[in-house]
Amino acid sequence: MHESAPKTSNDRRELISFCIGDQEFAVNIMSVREIRGWSPATPLPQTPPYMRGVINLRGAVLPIMDLAARLELPVSELSVRSVIIVVNVGERLLGLLVDAVSDIISITQDMVQPPPDIGYDRGSSFIRGLISMEGRMISEIALEGLLPELDLIAA
Amino acid sequence: MDELEEIKVTFFQECDELLGDLETGLLAMENGEGDSETVNSVFRAVHSIKGGAGAFGLDALVRYAHVFETLMDAVRGGRMAAEPALIRVLLRAADVLADQVTAARKGGEPNQEATVAMVAELERWIAGKGSSGEAGAAPEASPAAPSTVIDEDDVGFGFKPAAIALIEIEPEPAAETGPEGEQAPAPIEDLPPATVWTVTFKPAASLYAKANEAGRLLRELAHLGSVETELHDEAVPHLDVIDPEGGYLTWSVRVTTTEGERAVREVFDFVDGDCELSVTGEEPAPAIAPEAPTEEPFDLAALIATAKAAPSALPSHDPQGEPEAPKSIAAPPAEPASARPAPSAPTAPAARQGGGEPAAAQATIRVDPERIDRLIDLVGELVINQAMLAQRVSAHGFAPSSDVAMGLDELEQLTRGIQDSVMAIRAQPVKSVFQRMPRLLREVANQTRKQARLVMEGEGTEVDKTVIERLAEPITHMLRNAIDHGLESPDERIAAGKPAEGTVRLAALHRSGRIVIEVEDDGKGINRPRVRQIAIDKGLIPADSQLSDEEIDNLIFLPGFSTAGVISDISGRGVGMDVVRRSVQALGGRISISSTPGAGSTFTLSLPLTLAVLDGMVVDVAGETLVVPLTNIVESLRPKPEDVHPLGPEGAVLAVRDSFVRLVDIGCVLGFRKQPIAPDKGVILLVEGEDGVRSALVADGIHGQRQVVIKSLEANYRQVEGIAAATILGDGRVALIVDVDALVTAPRATPRAVETIPLAAE
Repeated sequence: MHESAPKTSNDRRELISFCIGDQEFAVNIMSVREIRGWSPATPLPQTPPYMRGVINLRGAVLPIMDLAARLELPVSELSVRSVIIVVNVGERLLGLLVDAVSDIISITQDMVQPPPDIGYDRGSSFIRGLISMEGRMISEIALEGLLPELDLIAA
Repeated sequence: MDELEEIKVTFFQECDELLGDLETGLLAMENGEGDSETVNSVFRAVHSIKGGAGAFGLDALVRYAHVFETLMDAVRGGRMAAEPALIRVLLRAADVLADQVTAARKGGEPNQEATVAMVAELERWIAGKGSSGEAGAAPEASPAAPSTVIDEDDVGFGFKPAAIALIEIEPEPAAETGPEGEQAPAPIEDLPPATVWTVTFKPAASLYAKANEAGRLLRELAHLGSVETELHDEAVPHLDVIDPEGGYLTWSVRVTTTEGERAVREVFDFVDGDCELSVTGEEPAPAIAPEAPTEEPFDLAALIATAKAAPSALPSHDPQGEPEAPKSIAAPPAEPASARPAPSAPTAPAARQGGGEPAAAQATIRVDPERIDRLIDLVGELVINQAMLAQRVSAHGFAPSSDVAMGLDELEQLTRGIQDSVMAIRAQPVKSVFQRMPRLLREVANQTRKQARLVMEGEGTEVDKTVIERLAEPITHMLRNAIDHGLESPDERIAAGKPAEGTVRLAALHRSGRIVIEVEDDGKGINRPRVRQIAIDKGLIPADSQLSDEEIDNLIFLPGFSTAGVISDISGRGVGMDVVRRSVQALGGRISISSTPGAGSTFTLSLPLTLAVLDGMVVDVAGETLVVPLTNIVESLRPKPEDVHPLGPEGAVLAVRDSFVRLVDIGCVLGFRKQPIAPDKGVILLVEGEDGVRSALVADGIHGQRQVVIKSLEANYRQVEGIAAATILGDGRVALIVDVDALVTAPRATPRAVETIPLAAE
């Protein structure tokens, strides 16, 4: 899975990449707690539509966010490949529903460029940067930006 | 250094306990319940804090504690009467001490002004002038002596925690001997044939090894007559070469007795061969040297000096380097009885003789609360898992009488047993919250210039830690309120024929599976006409409303209500009783007030015993499974179509016996469906909100009653309106626990538009 030698230099980071529709995204591997299959979520009332609800993660109540909806992308149908990436956001755990996990990539900071202004400014608070890799473009997700309703700055 | 830090943490934990003991003791003294043991415990608390503080070089704390201790010692020694005025000063001194400890813990500087003022006040008392302003005559405190006398005593006392808690020696009637300096005034019986025997006694290491004590033998010797004991410590080597189990001490005892040499030697029968012993007789002494008692401490001091002089090894054991040597020995606060550490080795055998009673083994263990929380979580898992298993077993068609089903029943019993036991581990007495209250009372009473006394009951009432943590805030508010709004000023009280000092009673008790906290004052009670008028003025109730006394009393919980004519610094600081009630309700609790004009008011707060489990009704709503807390449910029923009456454009009411209650479709309020179902097609849960108003919740169906483990939504997400918490049901799925109060107070119209986070397309 590794595409290049990891951890040889300090500025090398590893990300987990995944797809939503035909776009590729990634999150820092250090934030990822686990990846699990989809299981039906209990809907939460009075929450934004991108919140799919909550599931039981070994006794903890884990909120599930439909990342496609959050990024204002077309929401795809659930499939057998649909997975939940459980990530740490501050002190909290959040489940991200994505179409499929693709890879672990190792990058250096110079491979990351800031997202250009494409009039998608709200989305840019979720995108930390764009990574160009083997002709693909991967957007790194800024996890802290995903749940603005939580006071994560303090956490 | 880490190790030292760790010990320091322990020290501060101990400080918390000691400060609690200190306050408890002082309050007992204030109530006239203080016996000599109480006074001693108060002294010990201050002393131990001082000792520990010395070990960590917390000089400011040591200095302050020393003054405090000096005064306490005068009380302990009976040189000063524990009059109420003094105890009040001591209580405030304890508060300052608590501040000092807090400051030391945080590494900051305590409030210098308060400290200096307090020290000055304490010193005035030490000098015997403290009560000059008071009615009572100054107690007979020796005006000049205190500091020196106490220092000596200090040295003697400092030794006690060193080896073994020797406090008990004081009441012991038998003459004490040895370096303790506790020699009782020997009962001199003028029997002419008394002989003076000089006994030289040098225990060998083997004597100690056989669990004999020099002290016991010396005490035995003292029973024969009057004794004068001298300790020879010249043989004690420097610490770096000392054998901690060696025998280095020699005592020479002059026994004046009518008994013969044989009786004297008999004392040492059991240690024959384990000591060097010589007994020689001489002429009767003309008189027993009266200065003997005072000599002993000097010997002790000399011994300490010797010990301290040991150059190389000592510093590591004596981090404080303060002239009061015993503190260094008393310093490790955690294990006062810890064997015989090297530095105290020379004194340990000697000190042992005093009490003979080993420090009681600690009956409690300290456990990191996180470990218990983890255990409780795991047991919660177990309960859920067991329920899942039971559900699957029954789904597979096993008969209830089958082996598997019966085994599962037993498993369930065990699981419940474990759950109860684990919850009991985490249960704590409310004392930890209560003991902060006397100080609060003093401060609030001071600020409002009222006189108040706090009576606490049921401090031992246990409740889960999760609840304990949430108790402090409402109790604080209720107490403040009781003093600020409830109690009258001393003048008013006297005019009303009451004692100038008001009484506030704080009580905890268990009642029908809940914990009840009562805060009762004997003040003026609620001024109902005024409360009613304010509520009308503020538009909280219609001007023509007819309210019962009880309803008027409870108006103070309405948002935006504040009766204090002047927004005082105490109660009216933005947080009204409505906020208190809201936070209490969020915990599944209730708060109410009852009042008798002229005689006082009582706040009653009731909370579930735990926030970890809840009894609930599992219901079906629009395809979702929800849990309704049982405490809210009055009854469940299936309505007849003719009982449902439409009201207004969308609303409907249900006739329940003779009253009409509002129908609330759970699914609609929570946004699970747009159109309410016909109430007669569903099941009605008649619920009562905190305000006592009943509503009829409409659900699709009822699954039954179940105890569920409460899981927080906030842990990973946030609070959701209408939802109190979540739980995990037997099928492993999350079910939401509804917040009945939020449901019934929610806007009655269609579900509010789902709030959208700024996200919409450009």
